[in-house]
This record gives sequence, structure tokens and C-alpha cells, in this order.
Amino acid sequence: MSEARVTRLLMISPDSMVTPDQLVRNVQTMAPGINVKETCYGCLAESDARTMEVVIAKVREQYRNEVFSKVRGFPVGDPRRCRAQHGTRPGFAQLEAEWATLPLIQSALDAIDAGDTDYDTPVEKKPLPVRELKQISEAFR
Amino acid sequence: MKVFIDPPNSMILFDLVERFGHEPLSSMALIQEKVDNIEVDMPPMNVTLDDVVKGLKYAGVEVPSGIRGRLAIWGPMIEAADAAIIIDNPPFSFGCVGCDRSNELTKYLIKRRKIPTLTVQYPNDEEEAKTMVGQIRDFLGGLKQ
Repeated sequence: MSEARVTRLLMISPDSMVTPDQLVRNVQTMAPGINVKETCYGCLAESDARTMEVVIAKVREQYRNEVFSKVRGFPVGDPRRCRAQHGTRPGFAQLEAEWATLPLIQSALDAIDAGDTDYDTPVEKKPLPVRELKQISEAFR
Repeated sequence: MKVFIDPPNSMILFDLVERFGHEPLSSMALIQEKVDNIEVDMPPMNVTLDDVVKGLKYAGVEVPSGIRGRLAIWGPMIEAADAAIIIDNPPFSFGCVGCDRSNELTKYLIKRRKIPTLTVQYPNDEEEAKTMVGQIRDFLGGLKQ
């Protein structure tokens, strides 16, 4: 990944009391030389890789399970994506689906942080032995 | 460790993998390279000739170019991954909605690499979400050993 520019998308969980405005003001003060843009779901932040590491660590510390983030390919305000310039938003359906699921993830992270480890373990899928398949087939003959 | 996430553009998986101390391999970083260096407008929908050739390694010549374009980006990430996390049964708008064949091929490539892989169910309530997050945490915690 490029070291010169890292763009991050920060999304606030709908269950959080934090507003995009509060988040933008806070992120703006976390490190010098960071470019932040407010959006309806949170904000976009852009800087060099090292500054971004500091910012993301601070965001995780301050809004532990309330703000989620991922890297964004396009720069902030890119005319190919920015809606102010009629850019397209092909990834918006994905963002919307994830935004709707964030309260569940937030509550799960809160529960696990509180020490609740009562959850199912992954089921290991194994191939069906031929003998069992034969028994099933013959049972319905 | 490098963890491939499927869907490769998922924010939830990207965030969880990073939160639990690993490096997520997502399509966004590779798309950034295309956007910055060769100024492609809509990767992976706009592809270069090199992408189509690269995609041939993962999908046959009779496969539509959209699948090859996607696999030209995802294939090298799967090859570089040390582990993978797959979300199963997501809603329609979650992940790559363009082509289910790309998703099937991605899962096949992950399986063929025989790397540690965790398949989690997409959560519909709080209990399922706890199961999903807990399983991811345990899986990623185990990778450190």
C-alpha cells in the first residue's frame, strides 16, 4: 500500500451517541497534517501512513466499539466519486448493508470485552462417507 | 499475519482483523494503486490488458472478463494470504453483488491454497453477532501461536 497517501473511512455505529460533527472535530485534532471530510455516516480521513496509524490508534482508544474503519481506495473529494461533482457511488450498497449490521457488531464487541464468551464454536464440515450416503439413499428407496 | 477477507471490501471484517492484531488483505489498497498510478476510473470494472492476462491464471478464457478482472485483483491477494475469513449467507447487497461466480471462484481458490480458513455466518441477531465476533477473535488469536 502507498505510504504517501492513506485514506480511511470512519463509520459511526447507529447505536452510538457520537455525531459525525463531533467525530470530525476530534479526528482533526488528533494529529497535524490530516485532511478530514464529514460524511453522513462518519468521516473520511487522509494523511501519510505514519500519521494515520496514530490517528486510528487514538480513534480506537476513544471510540472503542462505536467507530469502525477501513481503507478507502479513492482520495477524499475525488471527482470520480465525490457526489458534489456527480461522481458515482458503486460501493454505497455495501456501506449501507454494513451500517445496518454495526449495532450487532458493537453489542457483540461490548459483550466480549465484558468477558462474555458464551458463543458457539465453528462447526467443522467433513465429507459424507460413502457408506452413510448409501444408507441415506437406501432409506428412501 | 496477512489475512484475506471475503468479501474483500468488507469494513466489518477489515476492522475486526485489524482490531485483533493482524493485517487484512482487502481490495481497497490494490484499487488505490490503480486509481493513483494508472488512473483507472472504476476498478475492478475497468480493467487493463495486463489485468485480463493476469486473471487468466485464475479463470479460464471462456469466463466473462468481469470475473477475470476481479480475480486479477483478488487472486494475488489469496496467494499472499497466510489465513482467510469468509462470511457465509450474507444479504444480497453485502459484498460483491455483481457476480456470484467470482465469489464461488474466490472460495475455491482459498480452499485450494489450504491455508487456515474460518467461515462465519452473517449475523441476524445479537447472539449470532457474538458468535461471529467471538469465532473471529479466537481464530485470529490462534494464528499468533
